[in-house]
Amino acid sequence: MRCLNWVRLPPCKSQRKVRYTSLEFSPPKPVTVSEPLPNNPDGVDSSSIDTPKRGKSFWATCTSTFLTILLAEMGDKTQLATLLITAESHRPWIVFAGAATALIATSLIGVALGWWLARRVSPKVMDLAAAAMLMTVAVLLLWDIVGM
Amino acid sequence: MDWQLLSLSFVTVFLAEIGDKSQLAAIALSGSSRSPQAVFLGTVTALVLASFVGVIIGEGVAAFLPAKLLKAGAAIGFALLALGILMNPED
Repeated sequence: MRCLNWVRLPPCKSQRKVRYTSLEFSPPKPVTVSEPLPNNPDGVDSSSIDTPKRGKSFWATCTSTFLTILLAEMGDKTQLATLLITAESHRPWIVFAGAATALIATSLIGVALGWWLARRVSPKVMDLAAAAMLMTVAVLLLWDIVGM
Repeated sequence: MDWQLLSLSFVTVFLAEIGDKSQLAAIALSGSSRSPQAVFLGTVTALVLASFVGVIIGEGVAAFLPAKLLKAGAAIGFALLALGILMNPED
């Protein structure tokens, strides 16, 4: 399976059910598969067909992550901190460089932590935990709105 | 290069973001997604853009940000992502 080289997919997920993102190449079709389904002209095994959630392509995941986090961070304390430091120092590019490096570091830590957890926890538990965490984030945001 | 200002903004933002909502979301989304690279790219782009907007506003460009409305939109978005994970029929 060819996949992106710079981060390997979690092994447990690829073992559990082989799924292919739009950036990967489909495997050669096994000859034993009798006939393709009518709505499946490529003859790809139906288990590898993308489901609404897990089947989200690279760019769908990227876009939904981008939009939700951008909305959540607009007007948040991190943005206010960069705003205030810039207003005081009048050195926007240095402040931006420091803030951007810090944000890249914290997101790398977050994504690595999630990836590490997903390899050690069963998919069901991981999904429940992920849903609970996202709901917590939603509640925290609503809490912010109430406190504004 | 003003290293003091650089490290000040780095440390401030780093401490503010560690364990914050967006990092929690990054952990959850990358753990339940097939492509952590996509989650990383989306998170970094959003955060860097948000801090860029903060820097621009701080430099005096007038801008009106309906923060309440944006946060409400984000809350709905995260709730939908959570429901999407829960309602996934397989596994």
